[in-house]
Amino acid sequence: MANTNTTPSTNKIETNGSRQLKRMKMLIKEPYLLAIIIIIFVSLFVFSIYPIYQVFKITVVNDEGLLDLSLIVETFTSSFFLKTLWNSIQLGILSAIFGTIIGFIFAYAVTRTEMKGKKFFNLVALLPIISPPFVIALSVILLFGRNGIISNGLFGFDDSNVYGLRSLVFIQTLGFFPIAYLNLKGVLEAIDSSVEDAALNLGASRWKVFRTITLPLAVPGILSSLLLVFIKAIEDFGNPMVIAGEYQTLAVQAYLQITGMYDLRAGSFYAVALLLPSLTAYFIQKYWINKKSYVTVTGKPTQARMKINEKHIVLPLFIFCGLITGAVLLIYGTVLWGAFVKVWGVDNTLTLDNFKYTFTLGFDSVQNSLLLSALSTPITAILGMIIAFLIIRKQFIGKKLMEASSMLAFAVPGTVIGIGYILAFNQKPLLLTGTALILIIAFTFRNITVGIEAGTNSLRQVDPSIEEASTNLGASSFTTFRKISLPLMKSALFSGLVYSFVRSMTSISAVIFLISVNWNLLTVTILSQVEDASLGAAAAYCIILIVIILIVIGLLEFFVNYLSSSKRRSYR
Amino acid sequence: MKKMILVLFSVLLMLSIVAAGCGSGSNTVSVYTAFPEQEVIVYLEAFKEETGIEVKHVRLSAGETLARIKAESSNPQASVWFGGPSDTFVAAANDGLLEAYQPEGVSNIPEQFRDVKKVWTPIYVGALGFASNSEWLEKEGLEPPQSWADLLKPEYAGNVTMAHPASSGTAYSIFATLVQLKGEQEALDYFLQLDENIRQYTKSGSAPAKQAGFGETGVGISFAHDILKPKHEGYPITLSFPTDGTGYEVGAVALIKGGPSDQAENAKKFIDWAISKQAQDLYADSGSFRLPVNPEAKVPEGAVKLSDLSVIDYDAVWAGENRDDLLDKFESYVVGKESVVE
Repeated sequence: MANTNTTPSTNKIETNGSRQLKRMKMLIKEPYLLAIIIIIFVSLFVFSIYPIYQVFKITVVNDEGLLDLSLIVETFTSSFFLKTLWNSIQLGILSAIFGTIIGFIFAYAVTRTEMKGKKFFNLVALLPIISPPFVIALSVILLFGRNGIISNGLFGFDDSNVYGLRSLVFIQTLGFFPIAYLNLKGVLEAIDSSVEDAALNLGASRWKVFRTITLPLAVPGILSSLLLVFIKAIEDFGNPMVIAGEYQTLAVQAYLQITGMYDLRAGSFYAVALLLPSLTAYFIQKYWINKKSYVTVTGKPTQARMKINEKHIVLPLFIFCGLITGAVLLIYGTVLWGAFVKVWGVDNTLTLDNFKYTFTLGFDSVQNSLLLSALSTPITAILGMIIAFLIIRKQFIGKKLMEASSMLAFAVPGTVIGIGYILAFNQKPLLLTGTALILIIAFTFRNITVGIEAGTNSLRQVDPSIEEASTNLGASSFTTFRKISLPLMKSALFSGLVYSFVRSMTSISAVIFLISVNWNLLTVTILSQVEDASLGAAAAYCIILIVIILIVIGLLEFFVNYLSSSKRRSYR
Repeated sequence: MKKMILVLFSVLLMLSIVAAGCGSGSNTVSVYTAFPEQEVIVYLEAFKEETGIEVKHVRLSAGETLARIKAESSNPQASVWFGGPSDTFVAAANDGLLEAYQPEGVSNIPEQFRDVKKVWTPIYVGALGFASNSEWLEKEGLEPPQSWADLLKPEYAGNVTMAHPASSGTAYSIFATLVQLKGEQEALDYFLQLDENIRQYTKSGSAPAKQAGFGETGVGISFAHDILKPKHEGYPITLSFPTDGTGYEVGAVALIKGGPSDQAENAKKFIDWAISKQAQDLYADSGSFRLPVNPEAKVPEGAVKLSDLSVIDYDAVWAGENRDDLLDKFESYVVGKESVVE
């Protein structure tokens, strides 16, 4: 997650020149390290920067191969485009604010209080992350639409209108608050509780502690959550396509220009235009965080914190979390219901036909999704850990560039990556279209930020002196990383593994352009079922997807625990 | 660290399994198709049974297919594009993405459906129709609309849904049909009036039929096979056709230029098969309600023959060529008015 605490610079006293020289010397002394840095740079360039460049190129170069800015000029001056751009920004800001507030309250309740049912809330909050495309929007129509179970069935509204900005903000908030929650949970857990406890012992009220210590220290986490939810909300085309009504957004337009109007150039342009708000938000966030230092983590173990147990604080939090959890369960309960009834929303006879149908249609796409995600997940996590190690612990030229370019494929909308990959890797020497490899690479480079953020967050909590000791005793950087840093990053490794696996299994916008006759994926199958009005089958596939993901998360947890427990034994 | 090595090994093992699965013999043909998954399986199985040729397919909407073929043009991944409205095939042919091929027996197909440039081959026909929610009709005591003019009646106010012509090929067909039927200015006036009754302009062309099924709208305008699909699934839909003339879409099949060379013969066999009586009979079995173009094939039960409808002589080529111009007029005249009111 993009929790961007600033690294405390250790060698501020040295002059710029001597520092550069020292870095160079260090690199030459360690050919391994140099080789790894070069390999990472080359692969980031080829698989992140180059494809995005290709998309940029197609928007400014016309079919005859000449520079042609007319498309850009035309679109930028059209009021339709400006309105669409503004709609996207509006949707992004509203979803980001609501999503972050809900995420923060969840994270605070889970990390700071003795509230009952924390485990349960934690689990349900993860559900929307495993949500396949369109699901929430379809559920909302069936629940609150004109013939909706709740709007018409329960309250007898005859003419409820679920289409438009309000529903969209509701859906995007519910769908993406878990990202803010996970991010803020990590941040709140990392804040040294002794500071809060000290204030409390000195007589400050809970409110004062929250207002003057917890909240200010969580600011970087809040800002990065705002950014993440903002980006996710504006790049999604699944839910807006179903429920936005006449409220146009850039991501939907990009998709429709390509699929409805057959205009690859205009579609690419709309997709590229999405970068505008995304990058602006990214830089605003960077700017705010860099103005202050938020480093509080000492790395030393802290005593058990004094958790909040006062009724007047816990009860409202409990009710709030209960309401949100209820909404999430309602939505997913509807999907579950849809998978087991004859015709979703019309004929409520219970049946297993939908599952039978998914069996006859075949499990190829399920297998493919599982196999390719399983292959890319360890690569993503380990590569992410290595890059995190390099960024936090090593000095080399182009470090900022490495950090920025690894963020790129994560921050740009999936559509851009999808189009970019197909344009970039469709000719020799890098002929990858139609293979499994292109999907694995796309998964890896789109999710690598997840691994990096998990790694940097945990490395910042580890005292560098342990690693320095190892190096001083004669171990190479590689050995130090393998024997000291990597084992210490284990818990981060786990969250990195889980999140990148889930992201691979549920991704749609990028892979829809990359699947091929041999390699079709589950999310694309769900999308075509929705398009064909076979909602029951789509719901059944969704349930299968969710079950698979839950099983894999369980296995991963077992696997990582097993690794770390046996490791501890061997140290003794 | 041994565990790490173990993990690496298992990853490598899995990779080799993936690589092994990639090999494809020449006894296959790769197909992009816009047919729904459950429908296309029926066709492909039948083809395999008859010829012994294995078919690998990806289901993509017509627009997605076009974008794919365009982006893949230097190294096409599939050799046949099976299904989807002819206007996307016209666009692809204009970009030089298709290989001209006319199968044996094409002369049996009525001339009006065939490609004048002889690049693609028609395989089915579907007319535009109205999907009304049966429960809504009953509750309001209404008859399903029987003509384009009916849609303007006040009792349908706020209950007519169609896709927006600028985002959907289906909706553009509706627009182009009305222009061919009434002339440009009168058609624009018609849509301006219709706008009063419109509940929503959806983005995808098949969405209005689904919304009628959900009861989200009273009447949705779509192609008949898109309407019959949710009806077949069990949604309460009544299908009717405009008696004052309706347009239609022609579904097509074509060879993709430069597709995998070892599949070239199989691809041609596939297209030959696609217009054969046996293949065209399958529309009746697959529950798709598409109308076969082969005059000898049987018509699906419950589907309505074009000859039983009042069909206009829809000019797809004209519609394709005037698309940008017409859309501009639609936006400035019909939807533009809306934004002024806002």
